[in-house]
Amino acid sequence: MKRLKAVIIKEFKHILRDPRSLAVVFIMPLVQILIFGHVLSFDLKKIETIIIDYDETSLSRELAQRLAASPYYELYSSPKENPAAWKDLHRAEQLLRSGKIKQFIIIPASFARNFNHNPPAPLGMTIDGSDSNIANRIYQYNERILTEFSLKKSDFPNPIQVNIKMFFNPEISSPYFIIPGLVAVLMVMISALLTSLSIAREKEAGSIHLLFISPLSSAEIILGKTIPYLVVALLDGTIIFLFARFWFGVPFRGSLTILFLFSLIYLICGLSLGILISTVAATQKVAMMVALLATLLPSLFLSGFIFPLESLSPILQSFSYIVPATYFLRIIRGVTLKGATLSHFIFEGSILGLMSLFLLTVASLKFQSMRRSGQ
Amino acid sequence: MPADRTNSPGATAAPSDSPPGGKEAWRTEEIVVAVRDLTRKFGHFTAVDSLNFTIKRGEIIGFLGPNGAGKTTTIKMLTGLLRPTSGEVTILGYDLRRDIRQIKKHIGYMSQKFSLYPLLTARENVEFFAGISGLPPAKIKQIKQELASLIPPALLRLKVADLPPGIRQKVALFTCLLTDPEIIFLDEPTSGVDPELRRSFWSLIYELKTRGKTLLVSTHNLDEAEYADRLLIIHQGKIILEGPPEELLQRTGAPNMEELFKQAIISHETS
Repeated sequence: MKRLKAVIIKEFKHILRDPRSLAVVFIMPLVQILIFGHVLSFDLKKIETIIIDYDETSLSRELAQRLAASPYYELYSSPKENPAAWKDLHRAEQLLRSGKIKQFIIIPASFARNFNHNPPAPLGMTIDGSDSNIANRIYQYNERILTEFSLKKSDFPNPIQVNIKMFFNPEISSPYFIIPGLVAVLMVMISALLTSLSIAREKEAGSIHLLFISPLSSAEIILGKTIPYLVVALLDGTIIFLFARFWFGVPFRGSLTILFLFSLIYLICGLSLGILISTVAATQKVAMMVALLATLLPSLFLSGFIFPLESLSPILQSFSYIVPATYFLRIIRGVTLKGATLSHFIFEGSILGLMSLFLLTVASLKFQSMRRSGQ
Repeated sequence: MPADRTNSPGATAAPSDSPPGGKEAWRTEEIVVAVRDLTRKFGHFTAVDSLNFTIKRGEIIGFLGPNGAGKTTTIKMLTGLLRPTSGEVTILGYDLRRDIRQIKKHIGYMSQKFSLYPLLTARENVEFFAGISGLPPAKIKQIKQELASLIPPALLRLKVADLPPGIRQKVALFTCLLTDPEIIFLDEPTSGVDPELRRSFWSLIYELKTRGKTLLVSTHNLDEAEYADRLLIIHQGKIILEGPPEELLQRTGAPNMEELFKQAIISHETS
């Protein structure tokens, strides 16, 4: 324990005195959550839209106009077809399928009557859901306009009842799904990056030989080099999460304690992955590249973050089971968005814990064999 | 056993006060390092080619050779950092293959490439190395006091990277001695240091000898050769000459170390 403590203290001092690693630790996650966050949830302009007004009352026309006047929308028009008097539902569907328009909104007959006397008045919305981000944005814009319209025109709390149909991708995810997912991706990436440098650094400097020759056990070295980064990673995770919460406004419905607990396990898993990479890699550069590749790509594409797992081929799906982000994604989405509790994620938490144990053990064994052969 | 095995008559000489050729004298002395047919290959390249030598307690061995001769590879094998391709090493009676843990308790090693963490201060380095060696807190406290008397107080707070090379070297040697090792391997401790510092460093080495330590010091500086009790001259992975400096000069008739070294290399390469 005393020897372990010596390693931990030394590693801490190194973290604090190496400006490069400090930059990695604190600037990188900020830059990334801002860039990724904004790229993945960008604003749309001029969404091709068709409004089909079966009601043809002054109220329905006003609503149509309001939608058409939004800077986000542009009414679809062609030489033969007049956007103001669109009636052909079938044709609208064709246009949506071919990608000429992104959505069509149907104002049913008797919309005005229901709106005024028998709310809520049904309203149809069909959105191209093939790109879930765009679909989400469109839905939000629609809702914003409808809410404004309702507040102005009606005294009832919810005078319009929207029936949405997502084409091509019915299980659309909310934009709030994106940011927590991003938090999951960044947390594993940063934690793996942190430790990936630690042993490779000693290899480059040659100091590894002094560790080899010391009475420290390989497990002590591996643990001593992982533990200090847990503190840094937790700090980082907090920063990322605060940005998600307050910059991107992701709602938080669950318990902070539970999120913290699972984040801790998840970060340990990332740190363990990094330390294994560091043990294998010869230089810091290689270690950094491998850590980036091993965390970023699988976490983005194989975790259910961008593509739902069900849409992956069976082979890729089986890969997703060894990606830590797959499990944490469920946890963080569950806790932030649905207020899920501890018992919901015993399985995911255990898997992450076992993964960490496995990675640390392999790293120790690998370190031990390196030590014996002197490579 | 390798204990009474030696290949060269030059290896017989003991420290300066023993009579030349005192063959019987060294037999009674304890051999602390015995190396037999030690070989290390890297692929097709043989870095160290069946070395045979012994080191007696209290000796200062000058391990001399040009860059790339196999000095570092040999020291790494002797300290258990590199696995030999073949051959046997016995240190203090322990077999290097089997009892490396025991051996590590009794040896010190100062690497040519790295000896201290540049971002930590001297004191922090010492604390770290004492800590990982598992020394008790009281001992660590005492060591820190010793360190404070070794270097000026103003320098104690500086990062090692900012220390003058002479001080850095002293601290490095100090950390290498923390566990009070019996046998000390110094791999090019004086490389990149000016002659004056080199001399003062060698006086530290002599002091260790008086404390009964055994040292193997590698160098490619010929002017250091005469400081050693005995020289092992290594070239292309082989020991080409072995013996006390004065005796070697006498035997070969070379006017100085440089000439001796040149001759040895030329005769090795032509043979």
